[in-house]
Amino acid sequence: MSMSELVFIFIAALTISSAFWVVFSNNLIYSAVALLFTLFGVAGLYVFLFADFIAATQVMVYVGGILVLIIFGVMLTNQISESTVTQTNRPRLLAGVIAFIIFLMVAYISLTTQWHEGTVQTAEKTTTVIGDMILNEYLLPFEAVSLVLLAALLGSALLSRKQHG
Amino acid sequence: MTNLSSLSFYLPELFLIGIILLSIIIELIPGCRKYNYFVVLAGLISVAIMLSWSSTESVSIFMGMSVSDPFAIFFKWIFVIATFYIVLISRADNSLDKRLSGEFNILLLIVMFGLFLMVTANNLIMVYLSIEMVSIASYILAGMLKNDLKSNEASLKYVIFGAFASGLMLYGFSWLYGLSGSTDLHEISAALSGHMDQPFVIYMAILLVLVGIGYKISMVPFHYWTPDVYEGAPTPVTAYLSVAPKAAGIALLIRFFSSTFTTDISTTVSNIDWTTLVAVLSAITMTVGNLLALQQTNIKRLLAFSSIAHAGYMLMVIPVISVDARAAVMIYAVPYLFMNLGLFFMAIAIHNQTSSFEISKWKGLGSRAPLMAGIMVVLLLSLTGLPPTGGFIGKVYLFSVLIKFQQFFWLAVIGVINSVISLFYYFRIVKTMYFSSADDETVFKIHPLLYWSIISCVVPVLLLGIYWSPLINFVQHSISMF
Repeated sequence: MSMSELVFIFIAALTISSAFWVVFSNNLIYSAVALLFTLFGVAGLYVFLFADFIAATQVMVYVGGILVLIIFGVMLTNQISESTVTQTNRPRLLAGVIAFIIFLMVAYISLTTQWHEGTVQTAEKTTTVIGDMILNEYLLPFEAVSLVLLAALLGSALLSRKQHG
Repeated sequence: MTNLSSLSFYLPELFLIGIILLSIIIELIPGCRKYNYFVVLAGLISVAIMLSWSSTESVSIFMGMSVSDPFAIFFKWIFVIATFYIVLISRADNSLDKRLSGEFNILLLIVMFGLFLMVTANNLIMVYLSIEMVSIASYILAGMLKNDLKSNEASLKYVIFGAFASGLMLYGFSWLYGLSGSTDLHEISAALSGHMDQPFVIYMAILLVLVGIGYKISMVPFHYWTPDVYEGAPTPVTAYLSVAPKAAGIALLIRFFSSTFTTDISTTVSNIDWTTLVAVLSAITMTVGNLLALQQTNIKRLLAFSSIAHAGYMLMVIPVISVDARAAVMIYAVPYLFMNLGLFFMAIAIHNQTSSFEISKWKGLGSRAPLMAGIMVVLLLSLTGLPPTGGFIGKVYLFSVLIKFQQFFWLAVIGVINSVISLFYYFRIVKTMYFSSADDETVFKIHPLLYWSIISCVVPVLLLGIYWSPLINFVQHSISMF
């Protein structure tokens, strides 16, 4: 096994195991910290696909921005840091069995399907390609996203503002 | 088509974005805020003018991201009319905070832009993005009444269900992308035809895509959010949600399934039997909607379940992959728009006076407001699908498609049984209006905006019931799809 394969397995295992921790932890702070590892792991996977720009963005936006915000949100909200979050599903056994069956189905289908084979990625400058694509092929989605963000901004200001009068 | 030359096919959308930005700026200038309402209404008229000028060619624009075709333009007309009505009557609703009317109008316009994108989407990215644009703005609109716990609950439930549904839909998209290596709907279709021997993976993808779109049109079993959100959201928003996003969802479903999961005009891709799946879901949707509507005493919840049932009726013909089926859905959407809006406007009028959405508040309306009560009877007749109304014509076309296409004859039978069930709860409202005496004999007051809006809703419903050939001609000209 080559060195890069070992690193890949390490990163993939880190991503998945910390994702489990996010879901199963009873403490919100622990979940948030575990999410840090998951997001870092995903950034690592991007590096393996030679998507260096996306990896850097992932670290900057998710790890640096969103995660810090989540932790701040958790810490600044009264009492939420002490309270434990438990999610109880009433018919636990039934839900578990159904989830397991769906898991088996998805696993079977994804293992037997002949997936589309993409081109082998090589290391090249990705930023030029991304910039070119955003302003050509993906111009409309790129512009539409700005309107989604506008709606989100407007809405968050509207909902968080104190009732006047 | 290149981005620059696509712009000439995008004039209504460009005008719409212009109006959105203009009304944000107007909101910021002190003293100008009161003109926002008129600017938005004038803007919507300008969008309608642009729409009537738009080309009837079927072309793919913005390098394959979106399309411009008569099918999309037909639905855009529905959205323009619905948005115009809602902006117009938002003034007459007492529960909405007047100081937030600017934000209300802007968000409504953003939803409308999302709907425009939804009916023209030709790429998985655009499909997802447009659904999110509609959803995010609707979540906020549903929670506009900040001091009303029910409105908060509606918004939160909508967010949680919506996030879950779009997550599942994205997962389905990732399967489609994994199979085809492309996000273009037509390229995916071509790639799927090569997977004859692996039907399971395509079934899985279809199911997951159906979750996302089914959530938008409140198809059973993804309808759980509908009654609570419809009850809690401000009534103008509820009226809008029950008409415009539902029509857009149906249009998207038709476009998605006929470009991706259909090889030519009438055979499914790789012999995948999604038609039976949709037929069964449609039968369940209308039955569940109608049966649950039977026991409702709140007019908004009743109309929520009735809108689920109507989604079932419209889904009924989608398994019949033909031009006639597409036309039948389009014909049905037009009277549905007017009859639903009219009933919601009446609910607003009664809520303004009594602060209640209970149907018992409709008591004695037959003698207190004879004209309005008579109009309500016409609208309810139309919702049931009885002559001489537009709803009857719509249903006739839906059923005739099913009866011509022998395979789904059973669905037509279920549809007719459901219409009979719906007669029961719609006519309970009529009975309340005419055969129960009012608790208080106060004069029924109605805001003139609501009054004239209701009258303008009933005119097309009645007209389409008597003289429907212009609509049929219009639909025949709008049938072609890229």
